[in-house]
Amino acid sequence: DKWHMPTPYADANLPTQIAREFAEEIKANTAGELDITVHSGASLVKHPEIPRAVKTGQVQLGEVFIGIMGNTHPVFKHDNIPFLATTFDDAEKLWAAARPEVEKQLDKDGMTLLYTVAWPAQSLYTKAPVNRLEDLSGLKMRAYSPSTSRLADLMHTTPTTVQVPDIPQAFSTGIIDAMITSPSTGVNGQAWDYLEHFTDVRAWIPKNVVVVNKRAFKRLDDKTRQIILDAAAKAESEGWKRVRVTAAEDTKTLAENGIQVAEPSAELMAELQTIGDIMIDEWKAESPDDVGAILSSYR
Amino acid sequence: MMDMTLLSIVLAVSMLLMLAMGIWVALALTGVAVLGLMLSGNDQIGLLFATSSWGASTSWSLTALPLFIWMGEVLFRTRLSEDLFKGLSPWLSGLPGKLLHVNVLSCGIFAAVSGSSAATAATIGRMTLPELKAQGYSERMAVGTLAGSGTLGLLIPPSIILIVYGVAAEVSIGRLFIAGALPGLLLMVLFMGYTMVWALLNRDELPSNTSDRVPFIVKLKALKQLLPIVALIGFVLGSIYGGLTTPTEAAALGVFGSLFLALVTGSLDRESFLGSLLGAVKSSCMIGLILVGAHFLTLAMGFLGIPGALAQWIGDMALSPVVLLMSLTLLFVVLGCFLDGISVVVLTVAVVLPMVQQANIDLLWFGIYIVLVVEMSQITPPVGFNLFVIQALTGKDILYVARAALPFFLLILFAIVLISWFPEIVTYLPTTMSQR
Amino acid sequence: MHSLREKLYLASGYLAGFCLVVIMLIILAQIVGRLFGFIVPSAEDFSGYALAGATFLGLAYTFHEGGHIRVTLLIQRCSSRVRFLQELLVLLFALVLVSYMTWHCIYMVWESYVFEEVSYGYIPVPIWIPQVPLALGMLALNLAILDSLVCVVKGRVPAYQTHENELNLEEV
Ligand code: NA
Ligand code: NA
Repeated sequence: DKWHMPTPYADANLPTQIAREFAEEIKANTAGELDITVHSGASLVKHPEIPRAVKTGQVQLGEVFIGIMGNTHPVFKHDNIPFLATTFDDAEKLWAAARPEVEKQLDKDGMTLLYTVAWPAQSLYTKAPVNRLEDLSGLKMRAYSPSTSRLADLMHTTPTTVQVPDIPQAFSTGIIDAMITSPSTGVNGQAWDYLEHFTDVRAWIPKNVVVVNKRAFKRLDDKTRQIILDAAAKAESEGWKRVRVTAAEDTKTLAENGIQVAEPSAELMAELQTIGDIMIDEWKAESPDDVGAILSSYR
Repeated sequence: MMDMTLLSIVLAVSMLLMLAMGIWVALALTGVAVLGLMLSGNDQIGLLFATSSWGASTSWSLTALPLFIWMGEVLFRTRLSEDLFKGLSPWLSGLPGKLLHVNVLSCGIFAAVSGSSAATAATIGRMTLPELKAQGYSERMAVGTLAGSGTLGLLIPPSIILIVYGVAAEVSIGRLFIAGALPGLLLMVLFMGYTMVWALLNRDELPSNTSDRVPFIVKLKALKQLLPIVALIGFVLGSIYGGLTTPTEAAALGVFGSLFLALVTGSLDRESFLGSLLGAVKSSCMIGLILVGAHFLTLAMGFLGIPGALAQWIGDMALSPVVLLMSLTLLFVVLGCFLDGISVVVLTVAVVLPMVQQANIDLLWFGIYIVLVVEMSQITPPVGFNLFVIQALTGKDILYVARAALPFFLLILFAIVLISWFPEIVTYLPTTMSQR
Repeated sequence: MHSLREKLYLASGYLAGFCLVVIMLIILAQIVGRLFGFIVPSAEDFSGYALAGATFLGLAYTFHEGGHIRVTLLIQRCSSRVRFLQELLVLLFALVLVSYMTWHCIYMVWESYVFEEVSYGYIPVPIWIPQVPLALGMLALNLAILDSLVCVVKGRVPAYQTHENELNLEEV
């Protein structure tokens, strides 16, 4: 068979590299019987349409940023709750706790979960140094979702929408003064061209998920299915292993290009943790049963 | 490879046939996509069309296009275009070709506001073409200069295609924007130079009445008539660089500003407002449906893998950088005849970028090269968005427009040769930026 | 009867024009909001939906007005008999293709409704609502094509062709 796998991000990103290896592994182990073409950078299907395309079998499998499914069900929001899981170890634990709930929701929508790849932790980019929460007060911070907007509010900044391609210009012209994103995104967009400070607050660790259409998956014979599941398991562990390396490298690249990379002060972290706790409670209130199950299993 | 070649030929020929038969461009693109998907045994064609249409028509970055088209319609209904000509003509009277330069100059300036080639051609052409015709300038040259210089919208920042490339190649969009400035000026110089040479050779196709000597004081007085339009452009540019708005949003300010100008100059009433809206609807629906068809064809090409395979075929030949660039140019020009420029980049970038990196070609430079190639694809038939826009503006067949634009196609090709010879044209400004 | 049809085409045009105005207002609100420190929720989504509305709702009007472009250089040289067959064939092709696509657009809206699909932005909008204009616009285009086909079969010149000819005469 020939399968098509749209992914949202360009080739240089870790998730796309893992997707290509995943496809090659399956092709090799099925002796070419199952040939998966990876269409990177949303070149086949646009990112918001990928879940729909997989669900309805327009493509057999695809990769999605979990955060964009947040409106579908609160369990998907485990992926971007600030200051809930801020180290890779914790994020792996959180994912272990959330996985059954996520699988259940995906299954309801006709999709089977294969594997996830994490991004480096989301940290704070600013033009001026940040030692306390007060330093951010009144600044304009980029928000792109209800939760980042809420976070900006709680941090006493003004949430401001700016689309990704407009970010460099928005910083240069003062439309925004701060944003929270990963060191990788900063490196890809050459953030040193337009800002000076990176405070490594590690707010949350988001992931991409790779899903396969349930019917397409069921139609395969047992052996091929097992080959896919094995390749997925391998991709998942590779992902968690390599994202740690990527995060360190990209943070180093930021510093090498003149950005002041700083560990957050204890005071700042304490203030942020309070905000995180508020948002965790708000998340739990959305769906006490499912979210509660994730939280109690995680803690 | 063999059946891929055969498939490409079948699809290309059927597109040409459909177009020759008088099938609407958007439907021909959709039809070819359906044919391609059918030949590849895809059984989800209808659903794919629906999903891809929804994705293609809700894209945030596209909202600027109809708004700029609307802006052109509003300005067309004011006295602004007349004033533009009255203000510029004393200044251009010394140049061979006189007002023929108005397209190049206005597009060059408007390109600093708009990120797309079709929007630039539509907005400027709406103002300049009727006036140029009324004054008796060669129609073919008026259409040609517009088709050619409309493409400046892509090269002079901001630019949609540079954003697409920057995201895919992970090159700083800010740097790409700065890198586009000098090549943009270079193109303007080439276009104006050609127009002067043409004017000297074809005096009989120009109006012959005006005298060449205009006193300086008259020139200064004429500037007053440029004030409203300069204020409008200044307002939009100022809001971009003053941190009020992003380039994507600038179009809304442009419409707002031109409606305001129309109001204060007394040319806005119910009738002209509704007229401008309907005019904008007609052009933007036409472009919109073609974009939907082009997006669907891009999707079909993604499934079939034709552009990627062709690029791979070039990559496998392990060519020297110069020959590689020549082959890529040829590939992009051929693909650009049948697909829109941005689709060509999207479909081939995953295969082409590694090749380019291996050949030690600077990715920033390659971005500007790509834009120039995409600019050419805007004016090659049968699929070229500037051709479509100008056909809608003038009723001239796209083949006529393409022929009028041919010299400008060759000039862009020449610009590619120049930036290959002197890469500093591209890289000079960005290097000064990184030394800050 | 005839003027009712004209009114419907015009309505298609004005509906699309209304969507253009909406896009402008949403984006202006976003710019003003940034100045005064408030967010227009899902501005990106809503202007995208309005763009889809502007594109699709105006299809029928644009078709009727001869706005959708095609290569006319060759067909204009045909004799009137050949030209009649050509327009008939082209309209039949368009009708089949657009009907097929319309059916699937409607199906997509229905699926979005059944799946209870929501947008992923600020405000979770049930996605079938903004998709309705897409299906409606395609349906209207279908009717416009059918209208022209009937016109050609009856031996009259369809409206789009009249407009094409006018443009060409004007420019010769
Ligand atoms: Na531009
Ligand atoms: Na072309």
